[in-house]
Order: sequence, then C-alpha cells, then structure tokens
Amino acid sequence: MNLDFTPDEDAFREEARTWLAEHLPAGPRPPEGDEMRAFDLAWQRTLYDGGWAGINWPVEFGGRGLTDIQQMIWYEEFARAEPPFTLNNSCTFVGNNHGGPTLIVSGSDEQKAFHLPKILRGDVVWCQGFSEPGAGSDLASLSCRAEIDGDELVVNGQKIWTSYAHVADFQELLVRTDPSAPKHKGISWVICDMRTPGIEIREITTMSHVNDFCEVFYDDVRIPLTNVVGQINDGWRTAMSTLSFERGTAFMADQVELAAVVERLIDEARTRTGPDGRRAAIADDEIARRLATARAEVTALRAMTIAGISRVLRTGVPGPEGSMVRLFHGELHQRVYQLALDIIGADALRLTSIDGHGNWTGPYLQSFAYTIGGGTTDIQRNIVGERVLGLPRV
Amino acid sequence: MDLLPTSEQDEIVSTVRAVLADRHQLGEPLGDELWSAAAEQGWFLIGLPESAGGVGYSIIEESLVMRELGTACAPGPFLATVLAAHVAALAGNAELTAAIGAGSHRVALAERLDPERFAVQDLPGASLVLVVDEAGIRVVDAAHVSASAVDSIDELVPVAYTDGAITGEPLAALSGDDAIDVLLDGALLVAAGLAGLAEATVTQSVAYGKDREQFGQPIGAFQAVKHRCADMATRAEIASCQVAYAAITRRDRRDDAAFHVDAARIVATRAAIDNSQINVQNHGGIGFTWEHTAHRFVTRARVWSLRLGSSASHQSSLLARSAAD
Ligand SMILES: Cc1cc2nc3c(=O)[nH]c(=O)nc-3n(C[C@H](O)[C@H](O)[C@H](O)COP(=O)(O)OP(=O)(O)OC[C@H]3O[C@@H](n4cnc5c(N)ncnc54)[C@H](O)[C@@H]3O)c2cc1C
Repeated sequence: MNLDFTPDEDAFREEARTWLAEHLPAGPRPPEGDEMRAFDLAWQRTLYDGGWAGINWPVEFGGRGLTDIQQMIWYEEFARAEPPFTLNNSCTFVGNNHGGPTLIVSGSDEQKAFHLPKILRGDVVWCQGFSEPGAGSDLASLSCRAEIDGDELVVNGQKIWTSYAHVADFQELLVRTDPSAPKHKGISWVICDMRTPGIEIREITTMSHVNDFCEVFYDDVRIPLTNVVGQINDGWRTAMSTLSFERGTAFMADQVELAAVVERLIDEARTRTGPDGRRAAIADDEIARRLATARAEVTALRAMTIAGISRVLRTGVPGPEGSMVRLFHGELHQRVYQLALDIIGADALRLTSIDGHGNWTGPYLQSFAYTIGGGTTDIQRNIVGERVLGLPRV
Repeated sequence: MDLLPTSEQDEIVSTVRAVLADRHQLGEPLGDELWSAAAEQGWFLIGLPESAGGVGYSIIEESLVMRELGTACAPGPFLATVLAAHVAALAGNAELTAAIGAGSHRVALAERLDPERFAVQDLPGASLVLVVDEAGIRVVDAAHVSASAVDSIDELVPVAYTDGAITGEPLAALSGDDAIDVLLDGALLVAAGLAGLAEATVTQSVAYGKDREQFGQPIGAFQAVKHRCADMATRAEIASCQVAYAAITRRDRRDDAAFHVDAARIVATRAAIDNSQINVQNHGGIGFTWEHTAHRFVTRARVWSLRLGSSASHQSSLLARSAAD
C-alpha cells in the first residue's frame, strides 16, 4: 500500500501541467452545432499534436501506452488548469472513451487501422446508437432491424437519446440481425457511417437547454458487412465490452473534476452571504455540514478510483466494484450541484451554460443526466446486487 | 501508487480473522482467551516501531486489526489499550508499554461528557484509564477514577459517568503535537472499526437475502431489498477505500493526513450507522428481536461513532482545512 508516484509519473504530471498552461483553449466552448464540433475537434487535434491523445491506449494503436494512473494524473492536471469546458460534455467523448476502446478489443485489423488514428487525431466524431424508444434499461429488447443482403446489411428502425448524432461521422450501432434467436443472441454491433443515405436525424432539446440529444431514423440504410465489430449475431458480447468501458474508466475525468468543483464551491460559500443575510454562507451550520460531507465524499471517491486502478494494475481487469463507483459518483455529482444551488441564493434564478467557471445552474440541470445516462442508478444497483453480491434475480 | 493490501497484510488479516472466529462469539462479552490471544499475537503493539518495544509494523496494519475487530463486532477495550501503548511509548515509559503489550492491562476510555464530567467506557475490569481532554491525552491508574455506571445503549460496552474531573498523577501523558498525533491515529482507528462494522452488516444482510424466502423466492431477489444491499455494499466500499488511503497518509506522515483522517471518519461513520440500521429492516421481525444479532451492530456503531470525537466534529475540522494535495 502506497500513495507514491514514480519519478516517471511525477515527470508526467509536471509535463502535463506545463503543457496545459500553454495550450488550454480560451472559452467559452460554443454550446451547440458545428461551432461546438469544431471547438471539440480542435482541442482533440491539439492534444494529438502535443502527444496527449490516447494516454492509456496501446502504443500500437497510436496511444502512449501508459497506465490509468497517468490517465488520472492527466485528468487531475486538466481540472486544476481551470478549463472552460467539461471533458464529459465533449462530442469526442464516445470515440475516446468507449468507441475506440471497443475497436481495440474487438475490431478487425482493417477497422482499427482505419478508425483509431482518426479518433485520436480529432478528425471524426463518434456517437452511440444503443437506446431505442422501446429499449432503454432493457437494452437487449432492441428492435432496430438489419437484414443481410449480399455483402451488406440493410437497416430499418429507430434510435433515440443519441448524444451528438447530428454532428457525428460514425456510430456504434446495435441492430437485431436474427429476430428468431433469443433476445441476447440475435444482435450485432456495427459501425455506421452517419452520412449514409437513408439516415434522418432530429434534434431533441434537453432540460438543460442543449440540443445535443437526437433521434435517428434508418430507412433502408446500407452498411457493408465488413463494418460488423466482432461476429454477426454476437453483438451483445461486443456491447458488453463497450458498456464495461462506459461504466468503468470513462467517467474518471468527471470523478476527478468533481473534487475541484467542491473546492470551488467551498470558496463560493466563504465569499457569498449566507441564508441569514449577514454572515458568509459557510457560517450556516447546515451548509457547512453538507459542504464538509461533500468534501469527504469526493475525497473518498478519489480513494475508490485509485483502488479501482490498483485492481486493474494487479489483475489486468477492473473488478465489479466499478459499478459501485458509478453509482456513488452519479448521485454525489447531483448532491454537489443541489448544494451549490442552495448556496448561491438568488443567483440560482439565472440560467447559465452547462459548463464553464462560476456557472452553477446549467451544470445543476445537466446533473440529472448522471443517474440516467449509461445505465440508470436503478440498473447500477441491480448490477451491484447481482454481480458483486450474488443476490438472485427475480 | 497502490491502495490494495500487500500479501503480508492480507495474511495478517486472515490470522486476525481466524483468532476472532475461534475465540469470539458475536453477542458474547470479551473472554480472557481472546484478550490473551490478542496479546500473544501482538495486536496491542502492532503499529509501534521495534525501537519503542513494538512489533514493528505501522498504523496501516494496526488499522487492519481494528477493522477486523469491528467486523467481528468484538467488544472489549481494544482501542483504548492500543492507544495507551502509543501514549506510553511516546512518553518514553518502556515498562508500561511492555506491560500493555503483554495484555496485563485493560484500558478504559474516558472522554468529556460535559465541562464537569467524563463518560468512561469499559471501566469494569480495567486497571488503567486513557483520559482524553483539553490538556491532551494521558494514562492514569483506574484507582483514580470513580464513576457510576449508567445503563449502556450497548450491553457489551459498559458506560459510567464521573462526578467531576479525573485527577491523580498520570503514568504517561502527552500534550501538544504528540497528543494531536496520537489522537489522529486514534480517529483513524475508529474509522477502521466503523468500516469493519459497515462491512459486517453487508455480509449479514446478503446472507439473509439469499436464504429467507417469501412469495416463493429469496427476498434478495426483490429490488427493494437488493438495492438496499447494493447501497450498503457501496457505502462499505467507500469507507474502506478512504480508511486505507488515510492510513497510508498517516504512516507516511504526509501533510494532508489530518484532512484524510477527517474524511475517513465522516464516510465511515455514515456507512456504519446507515448500514447497521438498514440491516435490521432487511431482517424483518427477527431483526427486531434481542436474540438476533442485528441490534448489536446498531448500538456498536453508535458507540464507535462517539469515540474520540464524532462525525460532526470531524466535519467542522475538515471544512476548516485547506484542500488536500
Ligand atoms: C444525458 C444522456 C445521454 C445519453 N446518451 C445516449 C447515447 O449517446 N446513446 C444511447 O444509446 N443512449 C443514450 N442515453 C440513453 C440512456 O442510456 C437511457 O436513457 C437509459 O439507459 C435509460 O433508458 P430509458 O430512458 O428507456 O428509461 P427506462 O428504461 O424506461 O427507465 C425508466 C425508469 O424505470 C426504471 N427501471 C427500468 N428498468 C428497471 C429495472 N429493471 N429495475 C428497476 N428500475 C427500472 C429506470 O431506472 C428509470 O427510473 C442517454 C441518456 C442521457 C440521460
């Protein structure tokens, strides 16, 4: 048991800090559309040119081949640099955090050679087409169909809640290729080029006032069979590896960032007038207790993240404890922003954007996503109960 | 960077577990056999350096032992005895350190009840008392302490209140930074005991969830129960991870140790108290009986949570600190 960073890790941190101080883009990040896409991709390109893309991706696929510890250090330095945007909100999130990693594990050589460099260089945006109107938590009941016609799949159906579909180049698309098989057996995971004829995208406005949510309709969309990742009809297995990335390390940036958010909130509470209209907010007992608890909890969240990394380094696989981290983080993230709104008083009337310094109401509204996206907290609790604790299913 | 125990630490834990399984029955008072086994195994001196007459491990191993005592819900003055050894060693009283290590003394714990009086835990059978107050921390002969027993919320942790101050020449005493140091280790050990309690209730609830059937299936299949168990497990994991982290900061004498001990104490208190309460609910009627052991965790969690401060006092101190490194 030790908390020491190796000299390499210390040097990495130093290097990251210096580089970030020079290269972090000025904000604000444009909130939507092509400008947002251009901003996010430009940042990815800057990362790539600086050697910071794919920190924990294997070297043979263009990454730096470093450990999750360095990845965490990078996120810590990023948060410390007070960036004008949140990594979790970037439209490069899917490609970097689960699209790319899924291809690394399950993709063909051609798929890897074609897609991975583009993701790292910031040439492309990926999105995730898993959820459907009739298949959310019960993802395996999905009904978007794909029939084989020669060397192509012909897709018909609909996806929903597809973040950034309107600005995406490629999609992780789950389709039903064998309707007669049991529900987990007839699914395939395919790479869908979002510019293929027959795709129609409609934006959906979210409660946090952004339009990055989409519905996607497929009308005889033809996708080459060579775009299937893993085996045809074996897509559930591939999807599970995607979700293991999504539920595993993908939110590390966010977890790390939350600690910085709580520190900022403590500063706010020291300078703002509290509920009695006279003393600072931090002098209010209830606010002080909630702040102290939040500080303790983000601290413990970091310890939990490090325990998870330690497990991966020792055993090569993330333990099922990862779903506890997701569960804890999602609800804690919400508690922190709920507390923020209680601290800022009447400033809570003014709507702000979902990220950026000193903004609280936008991130508060956005925080509702944290217990829904990537599997609701109810589903995370099922996973902990069944896979970690071994409790029976109904 | 590695937050997981080493194989040597794992071995210590399994030895402690085996001793406890052999010599302790949940719901029974501390037996002489367990106390002498603890002394033989070096539990009282495990965290002290060899130069101070100790076993030569660190606060990490000490906290692992305390965690197992929590998990087993073992009663007895282990915490105060271990801390008395720290005080004796730091105060340079080698003879007393050795005697405590040999299990010759059971040490009661006296803390301020109000400005006039002390609340004393585990006084019956104790030959020494560890007194914690504004002046610091000291070990006195139990003969100096007169206190009247009150009914204790936890049957197995006797509580008594003094009439007034505790006077009498201490056998060993620390003040200032030395006292702060020992109290910091103490707060960490309390967090470890609480984390152990939190974990033990997960085990109990999950076992019952798999065993007890209603409506033709194990109750653990029902989400209301399953989700409560998932939350319990998550709280226990949060507590364990932060206790481990804080223990390392103490061993390494890092500047942010006090910050991390505060945080550990806050999340571990929450885990132990919430989990122990929900554990009763998960058991239904049997959980409400005296015969069942679920209530032991509830009252023990309350007792541990009030040793050497409280979650609230650690909240105040955590918020007053500057951010961790
Ligand atoms: C911000 C955000 C971004 C998203 N981005 C994407 C994306 O890019 N791509 C994509 O494919 N999807 C995306 N999603 C969709 C997300 O994965 C689904 O919303 C989620 O899986 C829940 O599915 P649902 O919306 O159909 O809700 P439902 O499954 O209908 O759930 C409704 C309620 O019922 C509960 N419930 C359902 N089943 C159970 C059960 N078995 N036990 C207990 N409770 C249950 C849920 O917890 C929830 O409270 C995103 C969602 C959000 C909020």
